[in-house]
Amino acid sequence: MMPAERIDTRLLEELTEQSEDLNSDALRITRGALIDFGQAVEPQRRWWQRGGLVAGAGGLAALWGASRAFADTASPSASMAEDIMALQTAASIENLAVSVYQTAATLPFIKDGNKTVVAFIDKTTQQHQAHAKAFNAAATQAGGKAQNDPDPKYKAVVDQALPTIKTPADVVKLAITLEDVAAQTYTKNVSQVSAADLRKLFASVAPVEAQHRATLLAVQALLAGNAADLVTIPVDPAKLPAAAGSVGFPDAFYKTDNASPTSEGAVK
Amino acid sequence: MTTTTEGGWNLPISERELAQLTREMQDAHQETLPAMRASATDLAEELRARGAGGPRDAGRRRFLLGAGGAAAAVVLAACSSSKSSSSPSATAGSSMPASGAASGVYTGDLKVVALATALENQAVGAYQTALDAAKNGKLGTVPPAVADFITTAMAQHTDHAKAWNAVLTGAGKPAIMDVPLSNQADTVAALGKATSVGDVAKLALMLEDQAAQTYLFATYNVTSPAGIATAATIAPVEAMHAAILNYVLGQYPVPNDFLPVDKAASPTLLTV
Repeated sequence: MMPAERIDTRLLEELTEQSEDLNSDALRITRGALIDFGQAVEPQRRWWQRGGLVAGAGGLAALWGASRAFADTASPSASMAEDIMALQTAASIENLAVSVYQTAATLPFIKDGNKTVVAFIDKTTQQHQAHAKAFNAAATQAGGKAQNDPDPKYKAVVDQALPTIKTPADVVKLAITLEDVAAQTYTKNVSQVSAADLRKLFASVAPVEAQHRATLLAVQALLAGNAADLVTIPVDPAKLPAAAGSVGFPDAFYKTDNASPTSEGAVK
Repeated sequence: MTTTTEGGWNLPISERELAQLTREMQDAHQETLPAMRASATDLAEELRARGAGGPRDAGRRRFLLGAGGAAAAVVLAACSSSKSSSSPSATAGSSMPASGAASGVYTGDLKVVALATALENQAVGAYQTALDAAKNGKLGTVPPAVADFITTAMAQHTDHAKAWNAVLTGAGKPAIMDVPLSNQADTVAALGKATSVGDVAKLALMLEDQAAQTYLFATYNVTSPAGIATAATIAPVEAMHAAILNYVLGQYPVPNDFLPVDKAASPTLLTV
């Protein structure tokens, strides 16, 4: 059980409101990107839906050129299919993350525990829902189906882990795994998708998942140090152990070796 | 179990054990460098083969014209004017170009690489200045976590700068060892006026946000696949730095659902 926490809930609410104000600007930008993507993809989507496979590739590349930096890579149909799969897999990872956080929020030692952890779970759930919505919007605008199911590989991991979760530290450990997979996958996706607007989408989400992970790594270190009372906003930096300042960012370059393949969560 | 006292607070693990965890983390970080250097080599070869030509698409031209530099400058000015104490003794690099020429040695994607290098050098210089100020007692008592943050983040920015410089030299261009940015004088001035850890943390947050958002902007405005990949692997790290700084400053660590670009630096900041 988490020890009694000290937290200024009013301040936390204010911070959350400020965060939401900032976030609304970012959302506007992302919606703009999605609209741009939808406009850029529309000519190709119609072509895609007509089922043309080879003919017209040259003309398509011309249509595509303004927003596609990799027009010289695989055939348009292949790259479009790859893009849609990447978006669906991303949505599946987000769906799983939402499910895990929502489940965690119902656990007695979470809902009756540290208020900052509860607030983090609530806010992070909303952020993952926004990501899933954005990925699915891009997938459908590209002519694909929305993915509303969880990533099958990591759902199995979650299903195996859930019965063993007994403490907040267990929840944090599982969440770190999912956030890292998400960040690694989207970081890699930036180099895999064929449209600049999709690169923008993936590249704007990967750092947010990385920030979730950084926060969770710091929380994990504090819990391991029996310092749950320092999991609070605001915190007195003078009371933090030295390692808490750096444990949140273990690598100079974000790894991608555990990135999920684009097909992993694609709609079958 | 051995305990460590920090500000009257007992940790059930020792500082030595925490230091060991940090060393292990740094070892893990070092493991990522070979892959990064390979990527930098690919990028240099790609750009060299391309002859570092002029702009190739409208997107990159938009980036070269810049979108967020003015916003960063405004924030910096606000930071700079928030305190009015001692004269600047900071030496976080020079505002004068020491490499290249004002006519523009770096063009096309290499201009973005040069901007990235300069931003990394700026961050390294700022953190080094903060460490020096802390040692001289100008910032008051510096919490161990903040000192650890600065040391580790500075090392990572140094690695980023090395990677980008490898691209520049690999493409036959001069490495950038200083801070050829038009906002550097304001940065140095703001650092010089810092009298507390909070002042430094706010300035560092501005630099980290600027770096992360610049890399985000680069991912969809440069044409080199290796350059895109490199920017994509650094942006999350700068964002993680920002998350911890927000936490230290008493702010929510993940303020945005999607990373924005309103604080991204413009290549027009480059003075080389």
